[in-house]
Amino acid sequence: MRRTVPLTLAATLLAGALAACQGGGEESSTAAFDPATCQGGTLSVLNQGGITHLDPARLYTSGGGNIPSLLFRTLTTRNRLPGEAGTKPAPDLATDLGTPSDGAKTWTYHLRDDIFFEDGTPITAADVKYGIERSFAPELPGGAPYLRDWLVGAAGYQGPYKQPDGLAAIETPDPKTIIFKLRKPEGDFPFLATATQFAPVPQAKDKGVDYENHPVSSGPYMVAAYEKKKSLSLVRNPHWTKASDTLRYACPDKIEVTSGLDAAVINQRISTGAGPDAYAVTTDAVVGPEQLAQLGSGSELDKRVARGEFPSTIYLAFNTKKKPFDDLKVRQALSYAINRTSVVNALGGSAVAGPSTTFLPPQAALGYQPYDYFPAGETGNPAKAKELLGAAGLSIELAHENDDANGLGPKVAAAVQDAFKQAGITVTLTAIDSATYRDVTGKPATQPALSLQSWGADWPSGGPFLIPIFDGRQIITAGGNFNLAQYNDPAVNAEIDAINALTDPAAAAKRWGRLDAKIGELALVVPLTHEKDVYLYGKSVKNAVPDGWRGTYDLARVSVK
Amino acid sequence: MRVLHDRGFTVGAAIALVMVTVAVAAPLLTAWEGQDPTTFHNDLLDSARGGVPIGPLGGISGDHWLGVEPGTGRDLFARVVFGARVSLGVAVSATVLQVLIGVGVGVAAGLGGRHLDAGLSRLVDLVLAFPILVLAIALLAIVPPSWPRPVLLAVVIAMLGWGGTARITRGETLTLRARDYVAAARVSGAGPLRVARREILPGLASPVLTYAAFVLPTNMITEAGLSFLGVGVRPPTPSWGQMLSTATTWFRADPLYVAVPGGLLFATLLAFVLVANGVRRVLDPRQRTEVLR
Amino acid sequence: MIGYVARRLGGTALVLFGLSAIVYALFYLAPQDPAVLTCGKGCTPERLAEVHAAMGLDEPALTQYRHFLQGLFVGRDYPAGPDVRHCPAPCLGYSFETDQPVTALLADRLPVSVSLAVGAEVLSLALGIGAGLLSGLRRYRVLDKLVNGLILAGYAVPVFLIGLLLLMIFCVYLRWLPFPTYVPLTTDPLAWAQNLLLPWTALALIQAAAYARLTRAGVQDTLAEDYVRTARAYGFTERRIVLRRALRGALVPLVTLTAIDLAAIMTSAVLTETMFGLPGVGQLLVGAVNQIDLPVVVGVTLLTGCLVVVGNAVADLLYAAIDPRVQLR
Repeated sequence: MRRTVPLTLAATLLAGALAACQGGGEESSTAAFDPATCQGGTLSVLNQGGITHLDPARLYTSGGGNIPSLLFRTLTTRNRLPGEAGTKPAPDLATDLGTPSDGAKTWTYHLRDDIFFEDGTPITAADVKYGIERSFAPELPGGAPYLRDWLVGAAGYQGPYKQPDGLAAIETPDPKTIIFKLRKPEGDFPFLATATQFAPVPQAKDKGVDYENHPVSSGPYMVAAYEKKKSLSLVRNPHWTKASDTLRYACPDKIEVTSGLDAAVINQRISTGAGPDAYAVTTDAVVGPEQLAQLGSGSELDKRVARGEFPSTIYLAFNTKKKPFDDLKVRQALSYAINRTSVVNALGGSAVAGPSTTFLPPQAALGYQPYDYFPAGETGNPAKAKELLGAAGLSIELAHENDDANGLGPKVAAAVQDAFKQAGITVTLTAIDSATYRDVTGKPATQPALSLQSWGADWPSGGPFLIPIFDGRQIITAGGNFNLAQYNDPAVNAEIDAINALTDPAAAAKRWGRLDAKIGELALVVPLTHEKDVYLYGKSVKNAVPDGWRGTYDLARVSVK
Repeated sequence: MRVLHDRGFTVGAAIALVMVTVAVAAPLLTAWEGQDPTTFHNDLLDSARGGVPIGPLGGISGDHWLGVEPGTGRDLFARVVFGARVSLGVAVSATVLQVLIGVGVGVAAGLGGRHLDAGLSRLVDLVLAFPILVLAIALLAIVPPSWPRPVLLAVVIAMLGWGGTARITRGETLTLRARDYVAAARVSGAGPLRVARREILPGLASPVLTYAAFVLPTNMITEAGLSFLGVGVRPPTPSWGQMLSTATTWFRADPLYVAVPGGLLFATLLAFVLVANGVRRVLDPRQRTEVLR
Repeated sequence: MIGYVARRLGGTALVLFGLSAIVYALFYLAPQDPAVLTCGKGCTPERLAEVHAAMGLDEPALTQYRHFLQGLFVGRDYPAGPDVRHCPAPCLGYSFETDQPVTALLADRLPVSVSLAVGAEVLSLALGIGAGLLSGLRRYRVLDKLVNGLILAGYAVPVFLIGLLLLMIFCVYLRWLPFPTYVPLTTDPLAWAQNLLLPWTALALIQAAAYARLTRAGVQDTLAEDYVRTARAYGFTERRIVLRRALRGALVPLVTLTAIDLAAIMTSAVLTETMFGLPGVGQLLVGAVNQIDLPVVVGVTLLTGCLVVVGNAVADLLYAAIDPRVQLR
C-alpha cells in the first residue's frame, strides 16, 4: 500500500496531464484552440440536479462553482489551471491576493478599476460588502459557514434587512478598497475569498428573496431566462471585458443549461452527439458503466473524456462518546475489516473512486501524507479484525442516506455491511432521508454511533478538511456539528491555530499532512474512498480541460467553435 | 372443472404455481446452488469498467446459474428467487386486505341510507384520489424502522387500493338490493347485517372474486412501481422492482441484469392475468363488472 | 338532477379538504424538519431557528393549516427580505425549496402532464377500439388470438418495464428516436410529438387492453343479436351494422372508462414521467416529497385529487345514464 501510493499520485497527475493533452487535443497538436478567436456558438449544459437558487448569498460552492462563476465574479477565484498548479487562487475582482497585516488578522484588498455590472454601473467595495452582509439574512439561508465564525462580531448579525448598519468588521474607506477584520489569524483568507458570498450585489437592485430571479451579473454572462430546477439561459454581459478578466475566456455566445435529466441519459446523449448534443457538456453526470466499457479501447470516446480529481473523501464516522466506539480496539477492528474494493464497486468502479486509507484525499495541495495504520489490503482483513474483537463478535448499527445520489446511500452501506459480516460483525442498516441526513447526524443528541459521511474541500487546503472534523472547539451541541468523533484535544487545537497563522500555503500543507497522519493513529474515522471525476464532453467542444481545483472542466474556458 | 378447458388458464396457473413454489422454497433453492443473496463477490467484477460482471451473459457459470449482479457481485439467481417472496407476498396480502375492506365498505354503502352511501362514496373518492407515493414515503418516515417493510408496503397498497373493490361491491349491492328476495327478507324484519350475510354476500362472490383475481397482478405492479421509485423494501433485501430501477444504467453493459428480473416479473404477472381471465370466463362471462385499473 | 350535481360538488369540496388535511397531518407526524433542507450545509442551530421562524413552521399545526385555508380563499402575505410578498387567492403558498409560487410551478408543469395524458388516451382509444373491432368481427382467427393475447399482456405489464424496453430498442439499439425530452407544442409541434411518441406508446399499449376488451365484447354481443341476423339477411354489410349498433353499445362504457383513465394517467404520471425524464406534475411530486416541500406536495395532491374526483363523478353520471336500474343517489 505504501509503495503504490506515490505511484497512484503520479498516475493521477499523469492522467490529469494526459487528459489535458487529450482535452485540448487540438491545443497541443494542431493549435486550433486560441482563446482570442474562440468566440461564437451555443454551449449546451445537460445536468441532473437543478439549480435551485441563483442567489450568491445562498450558494455553497468550492472555488466559486462552475455555473455560478459565469455570473458572479468574486474577490479572488480559482486560477483554472490543470493539475497541481490549479490548486491556488488568483485575483478576480481584486488586484492581488490580498495584503495580510496584524498577523493575518486583517486582510486588505484593492479592487480593479475596469469592472462593471451588467447594467454598466461600476462595481465598488460597498457592493462587495453588501453582498457579504445579505448572506447573513435568515431569509437567505445557505452558503459557507466560515464568515460568521471568522469576521469580528458577526456571530449574531441578522443581515442588512433587520440591521441596516451592517458589519463593522468589513471596512470600505474608499470605493476601491475593502478591509476585513478577523477574530483570529487566518492564512487561508484568499481561499475563502473565492466563495460566492464575495460576489458584489448592488443594494439598489436587491429584492431579497426574489433577487435570484434575475441576479445582477458581474461576470462574462448574464441571465436571459431562468426556470428554477429546469433551465437557465445565459447570454453575454455587454459590460464585461476580456481585458479585465484574464482567467475566463467566455467563448460561447450563449449557454443553455437543462436540468432534471437522468445521468445515464445525459452520458448517452453526449456520447451519441446528435444535433445540438455535439456541443453539450455536463457538470454533474459522471460517466457510467456503459461509457466506461467503451473507454480505454481506443474508441472515439477516448478523445472526449476529461479526468480529474476533486479532493473529497467518503468515510465512516465514529461517535467516540457512544459505545462500543469508545473502545479503540473496536475502531481498529472495523478499520481492518473494511473491504474497500466493494465500496469502490458500489460507487461505480475504480474509474470514479479510489480506495483511501487516509482522511486527507491524495492531493498534494492538501498536504497529503500517505499512511495505512490498519492494513486491510484490497478486500479487508477479517482475520485480524476477529482477533481484535475476540470471540464475542459485535452487533452494530450503520446509518446511511436513503438514496445513492451522494454516494452515502444503500449501495455503499450494503457493501460495508457485507465486509463486516465476514469479520463476525452484524450490521443493521438504518436509512435516513437524504434531505435531513446532515441535520440528524449533526446534532450530537441524535447522532448515530456510526454513519457514512463525505467531506469535500471547500478549498484545496488541509485546513477546511481537518478543522471542522477534528477541532474540538468546532463541536456544536445544538446542531450543525461536523466533528462527529466528538474529539477534543487541546494539543491538536493549538497546532491548528499555529498552522492557521501561516500565510505560506506550502509550509501549511506540510503541517496539515503531519497532523492528519498523527490523528489517523486514533482511528477516529475509517476512510473509504476518494473521488475521481470522469466527465464526457461533446464532439465539437474544445478546451475541456479539467482544472486542478474542481477536477472538472471549466465552463468559462470551453469553446464550441 | 370447466375452467381447465381454458388453455390460457392452465398455462397461467402452472406458471403461477411454479412462481409460488419458487418463492416459498427460496432458501432451499439457493442452498442447492450454494450461494446466498447478500454476499458480495468482487473478484467476479471488472472494477475499471464500472463493476460489470466478468464474462459473457453477466457472468453465468456453474457456480452462478444466472450470473452475478453488476456493482456488487451478488448471485443473481439467489436474488431473484428471494425477490419473488417480496413481490408475491406483498401482492397477495395487499389483495386480501383490500378485498376485506372494500367489500365491507361497499356493502355498507349499498345497503345503507342515502347519507351513509354518500359519505362512504366520498371516502372512496378520497382514497382513489390520494397519491400513493406521498402516503408511502410519509408512512415510511413515520413508522419506526423496526417494523418489517413488506408488511408496511402491503398495508399502504391496501389502504389506497380498496376503492375499486368498494365501488364494484356497491354497484352490485345496489343491483342485488333491488331484487325481490332481498326486499322480501327486509320486509320480514331481517336486520341489515343479516340481510348482508345471507342475501347479498353470496351474490357478491362472483364479481368480487373476478375483480380480486385481476387486482392481484395490479398490486404486484404497484409494489414493483414503488420499489422502482426507491420506496420499497430495505436493502439488502432483494426486490424485482428495485433491480429494475438500476437497470437503466446497465442495459447495454449487462443486459441480463435487466432481462432476468424483467422477464420474471412479466411472466409472473402474465400468469396471474391468465388465471384471472379464466376465472372471469367461468364466473362472469357477460363481463358485467368493469375492471377498473 | 341539479340536486345531485350540487351534492356531488359539495362532496368534491369535502374530498379536497380531506386530502389537504391528511397531507398536512402526515407531514407534521413525520419527524423530519423541512427547514433543515432550506437552511443548507453550513447550518448552525441559531440559523436553523431563524429559518424555521421565517418559514412559519414555529406555529402549531392547526394554525398553519388555517393560514393555508385562508390563503386559498383570500390570499396571503409573506415576509421576504426588504419587502412583503402578496400571494393572491387561490394561494397555494411558495415552494420551500425554490421559493416559487406553487400555482406558477403547477401551471408550468401541467402542459407536460396534459400532453402526456391526452396523447396517450387518444392513442390507446385508437389502438384499443381498432383492435377490438378487428378481433370482434372474427374475420381472421389468427388476428383475434393475437389481439386476445395482447390484451392480456397489457394487463400484465408495468409501465416502467415497457418504457424501459421501448427506450432500449428505439433509443439505444436502433437509434430511430432521440431520448425523450419535452418540447412544448407551441415551440415545435413535430418535435413535441416525436419526443412524446415513446411515452404515449408505453401508456397506450397498456391502456388499450381494457378498451379492446370492451369493444370486442360489445361487437360480439351485437353481432349475436337477432336483428343483426335479420339485417344481414336483408343484405346490409357487416361493417355498417357493426359501426352503427355495436360501437354504440360499447360507447358508453368506453367513455366511462376514458373519464376514469384520464384522471388515472395523471396520478400514475409519476412513474411514466420519472421513467422518461419528462418535467411534468408527477416528477414535481417525486422531487417535492423527497425534499419535504410541503406546499408543493399539497398543491399537486389537490390538483390530481380534483381531476380524479371529477373523473369519477362524470363516470358515475354516465353509468347511471346507461343502466336505468342504477339510481343517482
